[in-house]
Amino acid sequence: MEKLTQGIVKLKWVIIVIVTGLTFFFGYQIKHLTINSDILSTLPDDDPTAILYKNIGAQYGGNEIGMIVLETDNVFKTSVLQHIKQITDSLRITAGVSTVTSLTNILDIRSSEWGIEIGKLVDEYDLPDEKSELDSLKEYVFSKDMYKGAIVSEDGTATVILFTLLTDADKQAAAEEIKAKVEVLDLPEIIYFGGLPFMLSDITDLILSDMIWLIPVVFVIIAFILLFSFRSVRGMLLPLLTAGITVVWTLGIMAISGYEITIITNFMPVILLALGSAYTIHVLNSINLNTLKDRKQALIKAMAYTMIPVFLASVTTAIGFVSFVFGAYLTMIKDFGICTSIGIIIALLLSVFFVPALISALSIYGKKVETEKPEKKEILSDIILHPLTKILFKYPKRILTVWGILLLLSIAGIFFIKTSVNITEYFKKDNPTRISEDVMQKKFGGSLPVFVEFEGDIQEPEVLKMMIKTENFMKEDPNIYSAQSVADLVEQMNDAMGEGIKIPDEKAKIEQLWFLLDGQDIMPQLVSDELDKGIIQSKFASIETDDINSFTNKMDKFSKENSNEICKIKFTGIPPTYVKLNDSLVKSQYSSLIIAIIMVLLIVGIIMRSFSQGVYATIPIIATVLVLLGFMGFTGISLDIATVLVGSIALGIGIDYSIHVISGFNTHLKENGNAEKAIEETIMTTGKAVIINVTSVAAGFLVLLFAQILPIQNFGLLIAISMFGSGFGALTLLPVMLILANKRNRITMK
Amino acid sequence: MKSKIQSAVFTALIFAGSILYANSQDANTILKNMDDVMYAPKDMTGKHTITLIDKNGKQEIRKANIKQKGTDKRIIRFTSPASQAGISVLSLPDDVMYLYLPAFGKERRISASVKNQNFAGTDFSYDDMESIPYSDKYTPKLIKSEGNVFVLELTPKGRSDYSRIIVNVNKTNYYPELMEYYDRGNKKIKVAEYTFKKSGNYWNAAEIEMTNLKKNHKTKMQMSDVKYDTGLTDDEFTVRKLKL
Repeated sequence: MEKLTQGIVKLKWVIIVIVTGLTFFFGYQIKHLTINSDILSTLPDDDPTAILYKNIGAQYGGNEIGMIVLETDNVFKTSVLQHIKQITDSLRITAGVSTVTSLTNILDIRSSEWGIEIGKLVDEYDLPDEKSELDSLKEYVFSKDMYKGAIVSEDGTATVILFTLLTDADKQAAAEEIKAKVEVLDLPEIIYFGGLPFMLSDITDLILSDMIWLIPVVFVIIAFILLFSFRSVRGMLLPLLTAGITVVWTLGIMAISGYEITIITNFMPVILLALGSAYTIHVLNSINLNTLKDRKQALIKAMAYTMIPVFLASVTTAIGFVSFVFGAYLTMIKDFGICTSIGIIIALLLSVFFVPALISALSIYGKKVETEKPEKKEILSDIILHPLTKILFKYPKRILTVWGILLLLSIAGIFFIKTSVNITEYFKKDNPTRISEDVMQKKFGGSLPVFVEFEGDIQEPEVLKMMIKTENFMKEDPNIYSAQSVADLVEQMNDAMGEGIKIPDEKAKIEQLWFLLDGQDIMPQLVSDELDKGIIQSKFASIETDDINSFTNKMDKFSKENSNEICKIKFTGIPPTYVKLNDSLVKSQYSSLIIAIIMVLLIVGIIMRSFSQGVYATIPIIATVLVLLGFMGFTGISLDIATVLVGSIALGIGIDYSIHVISGFNTHLKENGNAEKAIEETIMTTGKAVIINVTSVAAGFLVLLFAQILPIQNFGLLIAISMFGSGFGALTLLPVMLILANKRNRITMK
Repeated sequence: MKSKIQSAVFTALIFAGSILYANSQDANTILKNMDDVMYAPKDMTGKHTITLIDKNGKQEIRKANIKQKGTDKRIIRFTSPASQAGISVLSLPDDVMYLYLPAFGKERRISASVKNQNFAGTDFSYDDMESIPYSDKYTPKLIKSEGNVFVLELTPKGRSDYSRIIVNVNKTNYYPELMEYYDRGNKKIKVAEYTFKKSGNYWNAAEIEMTNLKKNHKTKMQMSDVKYDTGLTDDEFTVRKLKL
């Protein structure tokens, strides 16, 4: 180790030049980074539900429904119809828009004693303007399930303009253009924008605005804590410098390798700032505490002392992030794991090579160390660490008991953990998008698309009858307001031919009814060109996980039971996707935690050359993770795509504190051969770095409380809590275990 | 001298004015001539082959017999594919249409109140299928005259889904060679290519290929066995005749 440090000191200028050069290079690459807020685009390519959902998007003119709602006292007024028409017309000619359906252009099949009228519900060139016309339109709309609650709300005060986007369109650009176009019209009605296209575009805006001001704030807060802790500009600047370079390199590497910024990776810079500084904190602390007069030798010795724990700490943290690669359902979470791990390794390399090189190059060894010490003792050592040591030695068993009770409580809390994958819930309650979604849900049965695909000859009576049966089954669910398929149109056409609202029994009749349906705008949205597939389109109103689960289970069962050779039924849409996501959240939570624990145990055990030390190091952090999960259970913070990451991250970061404590203990034990003294010394020295580290990391993450997206807020809070938990565990639970083990003479000097 | 200049200016003004007049007159005349060529026959019978070509190049062929009298009476009877054989559509003046579906053995009056919808899966809208003279529906403007064609810009007089149609009219024979349809966002959405052939005294649209640029879908309508002025009577265009 000393040789390595000597080499670093020798090649210091080479290292500094390389780091500077790479920083400029990667910094330049960052401008190629792109933002992708489309969570659904990161659905896995090997899952049947996700594949079907994507296919439906490609085949039937878009799976993402956008909704524009006009709310007023009464929709059936000429002026309102005029406004609907204005919006409809402008959407029709917007790039990326696949289909538009509104009150002024929706297909209508009317039957009367004299024949069939196939046309539009309203004549868009001659909007009804007489009261009698408007009244009869209102009466007619409310008489048909196709319109009531689907295109006009049941109370007649709101109407919706639905649109779908082309699969290859720039969805965000389209959503923004539509919003801008509608806002320019400056209509008197209250207008809400809802559905995934708008939500995702809003999330992207929020991500951007969050990143722009949160990252600098994190930077300043960490700087302040560092300055306060180290009481030197060097102590503040070096960790920030390495953290900053880490962020630049990581984003640069992401840009080069084609990774995108997602709702998850957007807070990676915050993580890297907090963690990237941590390794340098330990290196600096170790140099500060070395009392050798020859500062160059002090640097070399300090590096030798701190190299292993820093290496271990970063590798275990990286493992925490890599564990997502094996457990996650969404590719964006895997990407996040990979990118952050890369960042951690960069931070490690920088703190081990770049920091000592810079210190020796600029001769900033921290000579003021002697004068700093007495001051600091008053705060950290005297007030916290010294009394802590006393208590630890006095009441080891009681402390262990307290931890035991806490853990039992936490385990109970785990059973109360809720999951949440609904994108709507990512917005704060007062966010316009969330308000819009509430309106969509109240008035139009929500905005979560549901699709049932039927594979078979769509002109076959049995297939169409099965579609009707399925629709009726779906509508039994209180959260399905309306459903639409080609079977409905065939029924209406059959009625218009004077044979009642039903599917004809002969295929020949269906084929001939098709003659009139063929070429209608809506047909490509309902059946494939080859007529070998057709879909039911619907929307699900509830965003409650329980409702979504029970509906999905029911539909899965129904599809399975009713599929046969003539007609295969498949169910997809956002609800079943959410269920998959949900299951995957729980599964990936446990699998990534288990993977992380095993890997950490192995690595710590191997490097420390002691399995029991591996176990000692792991226990406080497992305890912390349990406390964290229990906390989530009791406070109702749900497991979502962001908070699911906390467990493994907490494990990866939190283990660091235990590692520092154990490796400090080893060093001191080697020096004086007395286990008790070694424990005391470790707490007095390493303990300080741990406390600084915990505070700066936690403070960094607490800044996320000001983020505008809820999962990210919760993420920040939970990480901060687990930082305190694991720091506390490393300084109480771990020493207590060592003390007790020592009493039984389990610890001997190697 | 002065009077000479005056008269020269006067003449020039008259000349310029007449050119402008001639231009607007020309556009109207050209369109009128085109209508005359397209709607000249008193009546017509023939066979339609309608080929639908989707974006993957997959073709679907339909055949129909057609009879037309004047510009507002028409009966189309499908003969193939088998599933559609016998389906007949009768169009009468004032947008009255009757449909006969043999599988039901019944006819129904249908009202396609909105004419921007496509006719039976083709790329032709009900609007495009109408035989109303263009000069009744559109105001022409001569944009340019190049090579063998006049290029007219037609702006709809009444309601239409099109903001304008650009027509290339053959200079010698006044039949349309090309029509480009623009939507209200002024985006080209459809293109129709015409192939006219002389048949007896009349020019006949032997083939019309309509391409929907948005959907990347094509419809080819070919006309064969055309006979003109065979003396069809109004009796041929009655509901009773649909079932035959």
